[in-house]
Formats: sequence, C-alpha cells, structure tokens
Amino acid sequence: MSTVPLVLHARSPARVLPWVVPLVVVLFLLPHAIDPYQTILLAYGLLMGIGALGFNLLLGYTGLLSFGHSAYFGVGAYAVALMFKYLHVQSMELYLAGAILASVVVSAIFGFVCVRYTRIFFGILTLALSQVLWSLAFKFYPITGGTDGLRVPTPTLLGLARDNKGDKILFLASNYYYYVLGFFLACVVIMWIVVNSPFGKALQAIRDNETRAEFIGIHIRRYRFVAFLVSGVFTGIAGALWVPLNGLTTPDILYWPFSGEIVFMTVLGGFRTFTGPIVGAVVFNYLKTSAVGFTVYWQALLGSILVFLVLVLPTGIVGAITQLLPAVRKRFSR
Amino acid sequence: MPGPVTRRDLLAKLGVTAAATFGASAAGFGVAGIAHAQDKAKGNIPDKPFRIGHMTFFTGPGAVLGEPMYKGNLLAADEINSHGGLLGKRKIEVLKADEAAGTDANVKEMRRLKLSEKIDMFMGITSSGNTPALGPAAEELKLLTIFIDGCTDFLFDKAVPNPRYVFRVTNIQSADGSTCAVAVAQTWPDVKKVAHIHPDYAYGRNCYDHFSIVTKKLIPGAQNVSEAWPKLFSTDFTPHITKTLAAKPDLLVTSVWGGDYVAFYKQALQHGLFDKMKVATTLALGVAPHAIGKDHPENVLAGVHANYHFSYPPGNRWPLNKSFVEKYKAKFNEYPNFQAEGAYTATYILKTAVEKANKLSGGWPDDDAIISQIEGMMFAGPGGYVYIRPDNHQGYKDAITGFSKNTPEYPFPILDPARIITIPIRNITAPPGWPKGEPTSTYTWIDQTWPTVKHA
Amino acid sequence: MDTFVIHVFNALLYASVLFLIAGGLSLIYGVMRIVNLAHGNLYAFGAYVTAWAVGQWLAGAPTVVLYLLLPIGAVAAAILGAVLEPTLLRPFYRRAEEYQLLVTFGLLMILEDLMRFFWGPYPLTATTLFEKMGSVKIGDSIYPRYNLLVVLVGGLAAAALWGFIYRTRFGVVLRATSQDMRRAAAMGVNVNRVYIEAFTIGCFMAGLGGAIVVPGQSAVLGMGVDALVLAFVVVVIGGLGSLQGALVGALIVGIVREIGVSTFPEVELAVLYLIAVIVLLVRPAGLFGRAA
Repeated sequence: MSTVPLVLHARSPARVLPWVVPLVVVLFLLPHAIDPYQTILLAYGLLMGIGALGFNLLLGYTGLLSFGHSAYFGVGAYAVALMFKYLHVQSMELYLAGAILASVVVSAIFGFVCVRYTRIFFGILTLALSQVLWSLAFKFYPITGGTDGLRVPTPTLLGLARDNKGDKILFLASNYYYYVLGFFLACVVIMWIVVNSPFGKALQAIRDNETRAEFIGIHIRRYRFVAFLVSGVFTGIAGALWVPLNGLTTPDILYWPFSGEIVFMTVLGGFRTFTGPIVGAVVFNYLKTSAVGFTVYWQALLGSILVFLVLVLPTGIVGAITQLLPAVRKRFSR
Repeated sequence: MPGPVTRRDLLAKLGVTAAATFGASAAGFGVAGIAHAQDKAKGNIPDKPFRIGHMTFFTGPGAVLGEPMYKGNLLAADEINSHGGLLGKRKIEVLKADEAAGTDANVKEMRRLKLSEKIDMFMGITSSGNTPALGPAAEELKLLTIFIDGCTDFLFDKAVPNPRYVFRVTNIQSADGSTCAVAVAQTWPDVKKVAHIHPDYAYGRNCYDHFSIVTKKLIPGAQNVSEAWPKLFSTDFTPHITKTLAAKPDLLVTSVWGGDYVAFYKQALQHGLFDKMKVATTLALGVAPHAIGKDHPENVLAGVHANYHFSYPPGNRWPLNKSFVEKYKAKFNEYPNFQAEGAYTATYILKTAVEKANKLSGGWPDDDAIISQIEGMMFAGPGGYVYIRPDNHQGYKDAITGFSKNTPEYPFPILDPARIITIPIRNITAPPGWPKGEPTSTYTWIDQTWPTVKHA
Repeated sequence: MDTFVIHVFNALLYASVLFLIAGGLSLIYGVMRIVNLAHGNLYAFGAYVTAWAVGQWLAGAPTVVLYLLLPIGAVAAAILGAVLEPTLLRPFYRRAEEYQLLVTFGLLMILEDLMRFFWGPYPLTATTLFEKMGSVKIGDSIYPRYNLLVVLVGGLAAAALWGFIYRTRFGVVLRATSQDMRRAAAMGVNVNRVYIEAFTIGCFMAGLGGAIVVPGQSAVLGMGVDALVLAFVVVVIGGLGSLQGALVGALIVGIVREIGVSTFPEVELAVLYLIAVIVLLVRPAGLFGRAA
C-alpha cells in the first residue's frame, strides 16, 4: 500500500468535535426514532465497526493486510460461549474480560509468526492460521459443539439482569444497544489516541517506508507485533459483543470468507481514513442484509460491488467524500 | 422389569409389526382431518394475507431433502387459497428463505422476516443444526413456528424446554436411530460387528447414540468396530468407505442423507461395500424419491427419518395419502418425501387450529388461541395420525422404516411393500413426565427402563 | 495388505486433485505474483461444466464420447481464465499487491453465483463414467477403476507440467519472467502474453482437477471455497510458487488426511491444519518456497 502517498492530517480534537458531537447525540437518540429491528441492525454495525477499526490499525496504518481476522472475532465469541458453558458465567463484563484475555493470547501467538512477513505472505499466513482455529472449533464437538455451536443466554449488563418483562427483542434494541454504543465510543476514543500517538506515527512511518523507518531507529517487528496485538484485541471485543445479539456461536465466524467480509467493509468505507472502517462496517451490514432479502444472487451483487470499489473507488466511501469536499467547497466559494 | 427377556418378547412388547400392516391404531378422540368443506367463519375476519416465512434448503446437497418441504407447504397453501384462504378470507402467502445461508445468517433472517416483513408464522427447517438456534430466536420474537424437521431432541430437551410458540411436526430425531436399531434387531439379530458412518453434527451424533443404546438392549452381543465422521455436505467418502471395509463388519449403520447419501452409495457400490456387509440407514430413502437411482442395492434398510414414504399407507387403505400423492405428483411432477408430507400436514394443522379457535371465540384468533388448539391436537394427515403432545409441542407419529426394493412401477427404488416395519412411537420415545436427560431424554429413558435381552 | 494398498491409492487420489488445484495456484503466483482467491471456483467451474456435459448435455452418448468429453471442464476453465486476466486482473498489476486479494475475493463471490445461475442450486452428477469403469480386484477387496484413472491423470499432469516448464522454450520464457519480470521484458519478452498464458494454464489445471473429480463425486455449490482452503494448506506446506512444493504438499496432505480418517476419525480435518501450523512455525516459506 505504499505506491500512493497517503495524506492523513493530524486532527486535533477541537477540529473534530463540531461534527462528532451531533453524531453521537443522534446515535443516542436513534432507538426512539427507529423500530427495534433497525436498532438491532445498527448494533451489529457498530460492533463490526469496532472490529473493522481494529483491523484497520494493521491495514491502513501499518500497511499489513490480514486475511485471517475472523480468528480474533471467533476467539472473542468462543471465549464467551466457553465461559458460559464451563464456568457458568453470565456477566457481560466478565465475558469481555475473558474475550480480551483470549484474544491477547491468540494474537500474540499468531502475531509472532506472522509479523516476520509482509504483503502476500502475511495475508496467506493469517488466513491459514485462522483456518486452524476453524477446524478445531469444527471438529471438537464435545467442547465446541461443532457446527451446532454453543448457545449463550442473555448476559447481565453491569450486574443487572434484564428486566424488559422478558422481551429479548426489546432488550436487544434498548439496553444492549446502549451497552454496545458505550463500548463503541470507548473503543473509538482509544483507537484515536493510539493512532495519533507517537506509536501510531511510527506505524505509519513503517508503512510508508520501511527502510527509512528502520534507519531512524524504529524496531519494525516489535512495532508491528504490538499493532497486531491491539488489532486482535479490538476484533476480539467485537466478537464478544456479537454473541448476545446472535445467541449462538458457531464455527461460521471463523471460516475464512468472514475474514474477507471484514476486509470488504473496511475497504468499502475507506481504509486510508480513521472513520472509514466504521462507516464501512455499518454500511456493509445494511448492504448485506438488504442484498440477502433482495435477491438470491446476493453474493454476485456484493462481489460486483467489491470489484467496482477496488477498480473505481479505492479510497472507499469516506475517502471519496473527503476528496470531493475540497472540490465542492471550492465550487461554492467563488 | 422382572426376569430375563428374550428378544422376541421385547420386540413384541414394543409393538413392532413387520410385513404389510393395516395402519396404526390411534387413541381416536377428536381426530382432525383434512376436510375441505368449510363452515362459514364466525365473526369479522380481516382479509389481510397470512404470511408464512418458509426456510429450508434451496441450494446445495441439502436441497434434495429440503426443497420438497417448501413444495408441500405450497400445495397445501394453494388448496386452502382456492377456497378463499384461511377462514375463507385470509390467503396464505409464502415467503422463501434459504437455510443453506448458515446458522447465524438464518437467525438474522428469521428476525428480519418477523420484524421487517411482518410474517405471521414461520415454517420449515431441515437441518438439526439450525433448530436449536432458531427455536429460541422464535420464542424471543414471539413468532408462531412449526418446524417441519430439524428434529433433534436437543430442541425441546435443552434449547427450548418449555416451548410456547414453537412446535415441531415430524418425528423426534431419537426415533431415527431407535427405529433403525429395532429393525436391525428384528431382521438381522445375529450381527456381531457394527461399523458406523455418520455426518459430524447433531443428527449424526443423535443417530449414533440412539442406535447404540437400543442395540445394547436388543442385541447385547454386538460391538462397534469402526467409526467415521465425515463433514456434512461432503462429496467424497472414499477414505471412510475404505476404513469401514478394513474393519470387516457385519453391519454398517449410516445416517448420511441427501446429496451426500447419493454420492456415498455410488462410491460404496464401486468398492463392493454392499456385498460385504448389511447396511442399515436412517434416511436413505427420505430424499425426494427420484434422487436415488435403480442402481441402489436392494435389501438395504432404507430409513425414511422414521416418518413417511409415499408408498405407505398403500393404495386405498388410507385415502388421504392416495390423494396427497396424486395431487403432489400432478403439481410438481415428482413424488413427495416426508418433508413434503410434513409441511403439508403442518399447514393443515394450522388451518384446523385457526378454524377451531374461531368457532370458539369468533374473529381472527390470536396466537395464544391458535397455540392452545394445536396443543393436544390429533391430526389425520397423509402419513397417518400425528399427535401434538401439549407438554413439549412435539409431533408424534408411528415410526416406519423398510427395505429398498426395485419395482417395475417406479423408476426408482421404493420400500418393499411386503416388509414395511412400523413401531408405535410411544414405545420408543420418552413419555411425558420423564425428566430431561443427557444426551437426550429418550436415551436415558431407554437406558433406565428397557430390559436387556438375554438371548434370541 | 490390500487395505494398505487401497489406503495408498486413496491418498494418491486426493493428492492428485489437490496437486492440480494447488499447482495451478502456485504456478500463477510464481509467474505473476498474484494470489487468486477465486482459484477454487475455477476448479468448481471445471467440475460443473464437465458434469453438465457428461451428465446432461450428451448424457446418452457412447462411452467413448464421454471420455473425450471429460476434459471439457478444464478447457472451459482455461477460457474463463483467459477472459478474466486481461479484464479484471491486469489493471491491478501496477497497484499494490493487496488489491489483488480484494478483487479476486470479489471475483470468488461473483463466480459462485454465476455457477448457481447457470446450473441451479442442486448438486450436479455425472456418474456414468465412474460406474462404467467398474472395479478392479486388489487382493480380497475391490476398488473403483475410475479412481486409478484420476491418479494417472494427476501423475501425467505433473509430468507434463514439469516437461513443459523445464524442457520447452516457452517454459524458459515462463521461468525467466517469474524470476525477474523487468529483465525478461527488457530482453524482449512480451510479458502480457506470458501472463495471460500462465494464468490460462493455471486455470486449466484447476479446471482439470474439477473435471476429473466430478464423475466420482458431484459438483456442488461451495466446493470452490472449500477447495481453496485445502489448496492453501498445500502451498503453505510446499511453498508458494514452487511446483515441486505443490506436488510434495499435495502428497503430504493426501496421506495425512487418509491417516486422519482411519485412525483419528474425531479430528480428521484438524490434523491437516495442524501440519500446516507446524510447517509455518518451522519453515514459514514452506518446504520448497522462498519467502517473498
């Protein structure tokens, strides 16, 4: 990803606030305006946003395309399911802690192997490793339930059991939505801090010119490894948040086409921007759901969109908008 | 149970009948049937269409088994609509969804169908991997649901132990393995070495477990000599076949189904497997009948998911079946399988429940009223009497299996009409009041209450 | 003893098909530095075309005709490849490598639905040849003759490919381009033509794999996605870009799978991936590969 120079302005919080704050307010008020189904969809989108954000730390900022991020999503999700199955845990907070721990361990192991390589090899290795996990989840029926998966009932949020008169849909559309939203905002802030920190700058330096970065003393492999870890943890959190929405954890989320979807949504939004992956995740979620309902050939539809994106709109939605904005502004300020 | 029991005694106690039987007996109270002359509905009925979301396999190897389910639903819906629809006013609209999308996607789709498309009812599901996920989702969504298959005991044992909105019409899965084992005990009681090939998921495991426990009771001398667990929807069984042959068993038990089974038997033929051992299946002839060719060997215990084969009850002995098969063939140019019969029956169960509820209270009945009418219903369908047990919302129908045979009348093998085996379902499944158990209630019930046979 | 021989043949059968797929993948990568994620679907495409031709289009034809018709899947896949390369892949050579993964992933999704569109959602079978060839006696057991044909085809393909790459002029040009594209171009090689030819050969191989496997099994939707992962395991073990690696990797995978099913039925799949992991840890570039 180093053939096209990337312009990523350092954004001070003050500049960003004017349009971030209204957006956040809107997100908070949305459940009152739209029906429960749409809210649940948005919740899916937001948590995939967390995952995509993590993924993009590797792609957009470090220049490494991982085709095996389903591994961390799955690790987070299975951590939750196994904690319920064996430890009878029901607290969402404990689930998240377990998921973070599990994804740290797995990302560390996988990262150690993968960061020795770049480009295509890196991609292939990540894919192969995610498939290892998939085959384990698939085959160890007594532990993971194989293709039947593991059921996880509604967790307690902040120690409070759900009380929407037993209506799970309402629960998902209100309490759980806000929970996800809270985590989403927290993760966005953390990632923002990470990419704007000296660490984040070093990653971008490595991405733009490895040799030069090494010359100024950046230890490439170590930085990449840490980026891999952070990336894996974010995606693991997304996986954990996903489980209560679905109620069931199956090996499908470890299968490699799911990694492809994560890449797809990031590219859709624009991997060269901070907000791109988030926008991409939310849009992709709606896109896929409506495509599936719209035509039986939804795979071809999504595939064509991806090809079109890569050919014509490689900077994604947000990238395209950002490029258009100065032109539009110039147009209107004769 | 006191004293040593012989196999013959136990089989007799189980009520196993072989040879061309004369239809199962029913407790026979308030039997509902597929009546067509409708009384005028009471009260004010809206004419909004009644939307059924139907999810089954429309693509992939599962489609050979699953797609007829949709056709059965459609046939019933068309017939009902030709009289104006449910209660003469509400026409049935069926929305399709493909089960092959994967469990997670299916859960999402069910939600979308209910919350976005506003379906009134959900029907379908072939795979046992999906009902344990969709059952709870349906309860959460308060969506009236009749699962046609996906018959795993796990659904009502664990996933939804106190169902309210969810029902299931075809026989519970444990019946498959049990029926197969009982039939083997009846026909080949001298087997000593048994090999297994089962798809690696809920259904395969369930068949293995129940075949094993029943065999433990009925043929205590039999032993497992080989196991293989191919992935569901594999097309290559060569290594599994080789492994089985190497163990030199007397009997192979397999629950492989659909397109997988077609690939399996063709490959097995070329390995000479059918000549070297007896073969017992739980679902070989359960697919759309034309899917199996006449090259399929005869005298294989050809299971039909313990539910239904279009050739039984035969001829005029059970007119409902005769007319169903004729209508289905006329409309779709093929013969129905148990999924088609199940969906057809389920749609009529819905209709009957709606009519009875309407008679009682007028107007369009709400879900609770419909549910209360389905519970405990004894319905006469094309395949026989189905009883919907009120405690677990599971449909019970006498189990049936048979042996594959080629006849000149049909271009595909059927069940040998002279050797059909039927078993009253209440004798091989856990009764109401039996506590839930591991791996299934039926398993613990058989384990704890059946005697072990001493010798033939 | 005969069981052992049969196990060997089973392993070779699996390896033959895998070699064709993985070999194609490796060849394409070796020459063009492209990893085609849709490669598995070219295998599936080959399977579908052959199944359709043998099972439906000319189903009643005499057996000889059916034999001749078998490779039609390979030819169709090659043609498809020849069409895809200049249109969908060439625009990306100048772009970053990762874009190829993206565009080929999109292609995978499109091809999947294309096959569904043409041939419908059900599995397609073409078992006539499989049945016609009957079985051969091996000791006390019998074994499908057709499986032996597949092994033969796999072996012949490996030999033909080796001969082609190391003994013909075109092979020299191919190797030159794969080693150093710029220098080859500087010496007058028409790189575009070499690329399209290499891609076509790779697709031909994948299609051939599908074509010969289909009479014994069937063409089903989703077979391409599953095949791609296995092909990846093979190239991870053998080394991306190396044909010997594809051959050795395919053999290893075939043997391991056979042993896995016989001795560890509970974990048959996982064993394969475990081997891949071990190789990844010990020699990440694969047994015969060179790291990018």
